[in-house]
Amino acid sequence: MTLSDTIAGLLGLNADDPLHFFVAAILASAIVGTFMLVNVAIAGPWAKRKITAAFTDRIAVNRIGPFGLMVIVADAVRLLSKELIVPEKVDRPAWDLAPLLIAGSALLGFAVIPMGNGIQVADPEVGLAYVFAVASLASVGLVMAGYASNNKYSMLGGLRAVAQNLAYEIPLVLTGVSVVLFAGTLQLGNVDAANTIVGAQQATLATIGGIAIPSWYAFVNPFAFVLFLVANLAEVGRNPFDTPEAPTEIVAGYQTEYSSVYFVLMYLGEFIHIFLGGAIVATIFLGGPAGPVLPGIVWFLIKIWAVFLFTQWARSALPRVRIDQLIEIGWKGMLVLSFANLILTAIIVGVVV
Amino acid sequence: MSLEEPGPRDVGLTKAGEVNYDELEALLGDAVLDRETHLNAEAFVIRPDAVQDTLSTLKEEAGFDFLNCVTAQEYQDRYETIYHMTKYDDRTQEVGVVVPTSKDDPVSESAEPVFRTADWHEREAYDLVGIEYEGHPDPRRILLPDTWQGHPLSLDYDQTKPQIVTLRENRNPLQEDQRLNDDSDTMLLNIGPHHPATHGVLHVEATLDGEQVADVEPDIGYIHRCEEQMCQQGTYRHQIMPYPDRWDWGGAGLLNEWAYARTAETLADIDVPEYAQVIRTMSAELSRILSHMLAVAAYALDVVGDFTATFMYGMQDRETVQNILEDLTGQRLMFNYFRLGGVAWDLPEPREEFFEKIRAFIDDLPEKLEEYHNLLTSNEILQVRTVNTGRLEPEVAKSYGATGPVARGSGIDYDVRRDDPYGYYDKLDWDVVTEDGCDNYARLLVRLQEVEESAKIINQCVDLLEDWPEEDRTIQANVPRTIKPEPDTEVYKSVEAAKGELGIYIRSDGTDKPARFKIRGGSFSNLQTLPEMAEGEYIADLIASLGSLDTIMGEVDR
Amino acid sequence: MIGLLKSMATTMKHALDGQTFTVEYPEEAPEVSPRFRGVHKFSQERCIWCRQCENVCPNDTIQIVTDEQRNGEEYNLHIGQCIYCRLCEEVCPVDAILLTQNFEFTADTKDELAYNKEQLKNVPWYKDIDPLESREPDRGAWIGEGEGELDYQ
Repeated sequence: MTLSDTIAGLLGLNADDPLHFFVAAILASAIVGTFMLVNVAIAGPWAKRKITAAFTDRIAVNRIGPFGLMVIVADAVRLLSKELIVPEKVDRPAWDLAPLLIAGSALLGFAVIPMGNGIQVADPEVGLAYVFAVASLASVGLVMAGYASNNKYSMLGGLRAVAQNLAYEIPLVLTGVSVVLFAGTLQLGNVDAANTIVGAQQATLATIGGIAIPSWYAFVNPFAFVLFLVANLAEVGRNPFDTPEAPTEIVAGYQTEYSSVYFVLMYLGEFIHIFLGGAIVATIFLGGPAGPVLPGIVWFLIKIWAVFLFTQWARSALPRVRIDQLIEIGWKGMLVLSFANLILTAIIVGVVV
Repeated sequence: MSLEEPGPRDVGLTKAGEVNYDELEALLGDAVLDRETHLNAEAFVIRPDAVQDTLSTLKEEAGFDFLNCVTAQEYQDRYETIYHMTKYDDRTQEVGVVVPTSKDDPVSESAEPVFRTADWHEREAYDLVGIEYEGHPDPRRILLPDTWQGHPLSLDYDQTKPQIVTLRENRNPLQEDQRLNDDSDTMLLNIGPHHPATHGVLHVEATLDGEQVADVEPDIGYIHRCEEQMCQQGTYRHQIMPYPDRWDWGGAGLLNEWAYARTAETLADIDVPEYAQVIRTMSAELSRILSHMLAVAAYALDVVGDFTATFMYGMQDRETVQNILEDLTGQRLMFNYFRLGGVAWDLPEPREEFFEKIRAFIDDLPEKLEEYHNLLTSNEILQVRTVNTGRLEPEVAKSYGATGPVARGSGIDYDVRRDDPYGYYDKLDWDVVTEDGCDNYARLLVRLQEVEESAKIINQCVDLLEDWPEEDRTIQANVPRTIKPEPDTEVYKSVEAAKGELGIYIRSDGTDKPARFKIRGGSFSNLQTLPEMAEGEYIADLIASLGSLDTIMGEVDR
Repeated sequence: MIGLLKSMATTMKHALDGQTFTVEYPEEAPEVSPRFRGVHKFSQERCIWCRQCENVCPNDTIQIVTDEQRNGEEYNLHIGQCIYCRLCEEVCPVDAILLTQNFEFTADTKDELAYNKEQLKNVPWYKDIDPLESREPDRGAWIGEGEGELDYQ
């Protein structure tokens, strides 16, 4: 039962009629999209500042509204009212499309993520493949932004971004595949749907002192979990893998020339991307929206924000690696490890199960 | 049979180990025209066409391997270039080489083939004074724009002449870049003057081959305001002292003030009371901690990233030191605390409270430094980023005249505080920190360890000050209100500032203002080594090397 | 790997200890040392118009105008240009010019930062601290031997 079906039912629409279903699906996507954008709005102008401030012993935004929360509105107005500077000789359609592509592609991924309490726009059988596919669309956006900006720093940043994404996308997907081997399906499913990735994680792995430990893949295969977490850091370009941006080296890489609303879109895209990464981690390793006592949606939020917090924590402490070291870690380290993980998983699944 | 050839160190020395200027004069032969006495050393006046011979003889045979500074100046009847030479092994052994050139044809031989450091120094001499150097590989202006008319420190310079040039006359960096691209695969990248990692307004022209750096050229002068001339217009007694603070806004102001104080006190023959020397030593080391903490914190920005917490931790620790110095001097950055013959004020009352503050800081310091080591030096990613990158071999460093933590990070055991003692340093127990790594990591380690050594010095100074008898607390010597040194007295003295050796040359003309005031900024020479470190490495390493040099543009551009 | 974890532990320790280093300025006025050198305060009652401050100022921040009998007419000080070296206070034989602890001043244009003697008189003390006591001006060090005579008109 996806959100689209629920809405169709509520509005008295016929879910089998394509037109009716289309209307219901659009409404469902709007709800999920708005929900994620609200998360990003809280994360970008407010939570990130507060978290960074906590790590650096500062107070940060506290002037407007309770806990300074209204700074979100103030910042939105401020950023949108700035002049949109279009540099000379930028490659126009590409330069304009890149921010949209970066922000949009990450948002697309949430269509198949089960967020608990029946919030899931669609649940196709190839759910996991779909998520990885749309998430990597952002790389195209980065290259477009880097190339079209007519700026050397942007160019370097774009090249670095694509090199990095190539190097880390493969370990990421391979590690994801090891989960697929366990679950035997690509469908993300939901807590109550057995034979799906989320559903399979609800079984009890072991009972320690009367507390049932669910068979979340993070517990079943912690090695894959750590591998995925690291590859995910690289995928969203956060320390120690923020080499494509590297403000102190190449200023801000591919986003150097973007201002005003395009700048907002760029940042929006990055944050949605971090949350999408968190959502994938939560879905395939942390049992999706499952958890005791609290409703599923709350557990889902806790899990994606935990991953967000982790990226901020890493950026407060970990040095940035150099581009050649980054590629080396990707191709010579992560790739080998993820293959090893895959083979190991295959053996375990083949022999034990 | 066992007779050995005299080694280079033995030539030109007396039995007591002093410089034997007569022997040196004989060594230099007929290149020498005359001999002058400067307050710091004897100087030989030589023929303008014998500069290279003279300098290489002094370097190879007499062991003067450090071209400390090059001063150029114009007299009524001639131009003059002074090469201040000394030894890395013994800073007290100095010799000056004076090269006079005629008014109508001010050309002398370049020293660049002998000492690489002469490259920038001679360019500066050409730029500001107007002497030309034959055989110089790159005889361009350095501090002023290429379109500048005239030489600001020459006698006939017209201050009122407008220097506005049309845009067309100015070189367009982009145009040249496109020409470069026509016949090569390299790309010119302008790093700075507005760039997060240039620590001020430095412009680095980097030619890139992919991600790798094929060629680097630092372009300086963006905040040049002719501090030398400003000092020449101030009176010795008061008006010059506020300016050295402004050559280093990283907190090392007191160290810079000491450079002027030392030079002017030598010039006017002023003795500083011991009590004031202890206060000077203590406050100067606090100032060094300020500067080194900023260097480490900013280095974290360069290598770790722009959201690193390390930077803010560094700022916090500096805040503690700044509060102490504010209590003492009345300012947080531009101290203006030293005076000729002493310091402006005694310690603030109540003294116990002030000592308590310093002790508390010193006691907390090991824990704080442990944090820096946890965050930076023991971090594996930082190690792979910095170990063996930005290598500066000791011989190269010496040729460029590198000093301070940059030289000590290359294993050169050189520190003016110990080698040519001033203040109270020679009576205290502390060590010169050296690291043999020659890389970015070694320079970071040196700075962190020097903070520890500074803390040791401060601790001993506080001990001394606590027990100092009350009747003996003289903070200033009795210095005349107007100082007019003998005409044509020349002196070059230096101190160990935070970034390197800060030297000042003063020539007096009998008035209460200097006739020539020349500043040797430690960063000026250190920055010159950047191409040696960065060429062939990645852009990220270029940024890391630049950060590890800890240059401050106030001292480079002056 | 241990080093990375140590780095992350260090920042987390700071995040969890709940201490903040920054203060909420302007609600919380920062502590300023008694010796701190801020905006000048001028006392016409004390001033003897000896012009020593004008002479010692390294960058011509102080401008004094007197009539033919050397009676003071104007005392202008450009606090936007001042480098706060305190030499004017140091040379003043009668403590007529003092640098207060006050560091808060704003203006819309550069010209507004050129204070005349009325404005200089009305500069407020910071937290009512008169800095003179804490600075213990050492006049002895000033009136040393030498050819420069003290000139009180």
